[in-house]
Amino acid sequence: MARDGVVLEVDAISKSFGALAALSSVSLVVRAGQIFSVIGPNGAGKSTLFNVVSGLHAPTTGRVRFRDRDITGLAPETINRLGVAKTFQITNIFPEISVFENVRVAAQSRVRESGRLPSLWRLPDVEAAAADLLRAFGLAAKYDEMAENLSHGEQRYLEICLALATEPTLLLLDEPTAGMTPGETKEATALIRQIASARGLTVLLIEHDMSVVMGISDRIAVLHFGEKIAEGAPEEIRSDPKVVEAYLGPPED
Amino acid sequence: MSRALSWRAVVVWALLAVLPALPFMSKFYLLLAFDALLFGAIAMSLDLLIGYTGLVSFGHAAFFGLGAYASAVLLERGVVSLWACLLFAVLVVGLYALVVGYFSTARRGIYFALLTLIFAEVVYTFFRYTQTFGGSDGIQGLPPPRLVGGFAIDTPMRNYYLVLVYLGLAYIACRVLVTSHFGKVLVAIRENEDRARFLGYNVQRYKMAVCMISALLTGLGGALYPGRSAFATPDLMLWTVSGEFIIMVMIGGLGTLAGPVVGGAFFVLLQEKVSSYVDWYFIVIGLVLIFIVLFMPKGLLGIRELLGGRRWRATA
Repeated sequence: MARDGVVLEVDAISKSFGALAALSSVSLVVRAGQIFSVIGPNGAGKSTLFNVVSGLHAPTTGRVRFRDRDITGLAPETINRLGVAKTFQITNIFPEISVFENVRVAAQSRVRESGRLPSLWRLPDVEAAAADLLRAFGLAAKYDEMAENLSHGEQRYLEICLALATEPTLLLLDEPTAGMTPGETKEATALIRQIASARGLTVLLIEHDMSVVMGISDRIAVLHFGEKIAEGAPEEIRSDPKVVEAYLGPPED
Repeated sequence: MSRALSWRAVVVWALLAVLPALPFMSKFYLLLAFDALLFGAIAMSLDLLIGYTGLVSFGHAAFFGLGAYASAVLLERGVVSLWACLLFAVLVVGLYALVVGYFSTARRGIYFALLTLIFAEVVYTFFRYTQTFGGSDGIQGLPPPRLVGGFAIDTPMRNYYLVLVYLGLAYIACRVLVTSHFGKVLVAIRENEDRARFLGYNVQRYKMAVCMISALLTGLGGALYPGRSAFATPDLMLWTVSGEFIIMVMIGGLGTLAGPVVGGAFFVLLQEKVSSYVDWYFIVIGLVLIFIVLFMPKGLLGIRELLGGRRWRATA
């Protein structure tokens, strides 16, 4: 089997919460450099899929492999250290410290001292990396601002900065444009595309808004009631009758 | 903010160093100053948990008391080396903190607080209700510890300088710690523990580590106590003592290190002053504390801001 270029392989994942089957036997293969989107109506199991990949939940059955390494059921911090970073659908930042301190604590997670004894007295210099990131997302002027004082859109960007600061290979974006205006959404989408290609990132994106993913995705999978009902290039997905039905309901003759 | 000492800190340390030379400093006041600095240092150690990591330990009296008993047990048996007392306190408190930390850090919020309290109550009950270490009388009539050879820490002045050195070293350790890589992670845990995990931090390991550090600093403070009082009693680890430690941190100002030192000293001096006038001094202390919490939510150190000073920062 050709393993080249496969960054993430989700192999027949099922996850049940009691009697509720949130995911049934979902498989995906994400290749290096791709922007791979998972779409589906609310409650389709998208976030559960992310939680399984990022280590918040262990799957009921199935395996997750990241760069040929089995990461099924590992803790979130371990999976992050291997190179998978996640952003959250509901903004999840450090509210009462400055924007810079937010990114600093994320960036210093990757320095050599992290988790070792010298980290008790050394303060690694990650200012350049943090400043670069904040500049790329237009947050340079908010450097010393308390994170909770940022606007919603800015907090969404800071959310992405935190994930990127841990220098991931694979970036998991959970509805990065949630709550943004159409204008902001367009801008954010372009920015994500640009930064992903500049940093050579592989991106797995969750979105329930179809129009967001069509523009930036290389490949799209559609979840519906916990099952994958379609996968393909954006134009194939757009015209797939099963997808249209899932989103709009069955056609009326 | 710079990690180096500010000129203001230099002035404060210098004043503390010449304090015993002041004319009104009787032996009584020297011992009072000892208590003020000792409990200030312990409140500062507790601030690492409460103010920086967001973990409210309700069992710090046990670390303090175990440190005191460790040193008392050695002094009682004629081992009068201060260094031996400190080393033994580190071992005893470290071992106990390892157990408490392991179980308590697995839980959050109120459960963490309750677990630390329960562990501390078990220790208190053991010392209070068994005769192993003297029961309710504790260990009394201890000889003073010796620094080197024949140099005994046997005067209030020597005790004062000993505790001043302890406070100084503990302050430097805490200051370096909270401005380090480790300290930044502690604040991240306080702010958003779940997010810290997704940034690659093993949160429980960090919590364990900071619990150990805080407990050891508190235990070292406890080990100095029998040298001053010539006794160690179970009352040192009563749960109300743990509560007082928390109050000291609160009235001083969470997450500032210097604040809790001020808070601890303030609490000790207030208690002493008020109790020398009236029997119902706890009512007065209670009212003062309520006033501080209501009108000075950032603690005594926050007064700089009220007076138009520099902006206060929880993590500065």
